[in-house]
Amino acid sequence: MTFYFAIIGTKDNPIYETEFGTSKQGGDGHARFPDEQRPMNQFILHSALDIVEEVQWVQKELYLKTVDRFNNLLVSCFLTAGNIKFLLLHDSKAEDPIRQFFADVHEAYVKTLMNPFYEVDMRITSTVFDSKVRAAAKKYL
Amino acid sequence: MSFDPPPPPFNSTDPTAKFLSSSSLDLLLIELVPLAKRMAEQLATNDGPLEDEEKREAMFFRLEQLGYRVGQGLVERFSRERPRMVETLDVIKFICKDIWMIVFRKQIDNLKTNHRGVYVLTDNSFRPFSRMSVEAGGNAVLRAQPFLWFPCGIVRGALANMGVNASVQAETNDIPTAIFKIETTGAKAA
Repeated sequence: MTFYFAIIGTKDNPIYETEFGTSKQGGDGHARFPDEQRPMNQFILHSALDIVEEVQWVQKELYLKTVDRFNNLLVSCFLTAGNIKFLLLHDSKAEDPIRQFFADVHEAYVKTLMNPFYEVDMRITSTVFDSKVRAAAKKYL
Repeated sequence: MSFDPPPPPFNSTDPTAKFLSSSSLDLLLIELVPLAKRMAEQLATNDGPLEDEEKREAMFFRLEQLGYRVGQGLVERFSRERPRMVETLDVIKFICKDIWMIVFRKQIDNLKTNHRGVYVLTDNSFRPFSRMSVEAGGNAVLRAQPFLWFPCGIVRGALANMGVNASVQAETNDIPTAIFKIETTGAKAA
C-alpha cells in the first residue's frame, strides 16, 4: 500500500505534500509509486476538490470519507472548519485508520497555525510538522 | 484552553495536569490595550505627536489585527468535535456559545438578527468590563471603548475563517454591557 498526502489551502493552493508507504504487514514505510505515476497523483488529488465542494454541504462531519476514485486509487478527504483540505490518495479501503491519521494531522496542523509567524494558507515547511505527519502515518497506515 | 479537556473531577494530584490561570489571561487581555497605545505613541514620535483621533485609529488597527489572528486560530482549534457549520446562523451561534465561553467564560446573552445578514450580539456583563469603575463624569464609556477592539477582531477572524466575510463593530452605552454588530458582506466562500 502506498499513499500520497497533500494539504490544500482555502484558495485551492497546495501548502504541504508528502508520500509514504504502509508500515503495517512488514512494509518499510517507503512510497512505491512508479515514476510515471507521481505527477498523476497531484492531478488526481486536485481533481477531487470539485467533489469535496459538493460533499461538504451534505456531510456533517469534518471527515468526508472517500470522495473520489480513479482506476484503483481512492481519495479520502478531511475538511477543517477553516476550509483547509487534507487529501489522501490510497489504494485500499481503510476508513478508521485514515480517520485517526487525519485527526493526528489536524492536531499537528492546529499547532502550526498557533505559531504567530504562520498565516493561513502559507506553505508548511516545518520539519517538526513533517515528522509528526510521518509518525501518524507510521502509527495508523 | 487545553485540547482535550481534563475529565470532570480535575485531578489536582496529577503532576502533569495542565491548568491555565484565568486571572493571568484577564490581565494579559487588559494589558494589550495600554501596550497598543504605547506602541502607537512610540512609532509615531518621528513625525511629531499624534492627534487623538489618529492615535485611536492606530490602536484600533493593531488590536483588531491581533484579535483577527487569534480568532482564526481559535476556530480551527475548537471546531473539530463539532458537526460542520453550513448556515451563517450556525457560525454565529458557534461564536455566541463556544468561542465566547472559551474567551470570556460565559455565553452571549442575546442574539438578534434581521435575517438579511445583520446580527446583533449583546453581552449584559462583558467580562473585561466587569471590574471597571464607572465614576460619574469620568468618561467611562469612551475610555472603555478600546477594550472592545480586540474582541471585535476575534469575532471577525473567527467569521472569516469559517467563510463568512463580515464587518464587526462594537459599542457600549452602559458598562458592563457590550454590543457587537456583525454585518455580513457578500456570499459565503465555498
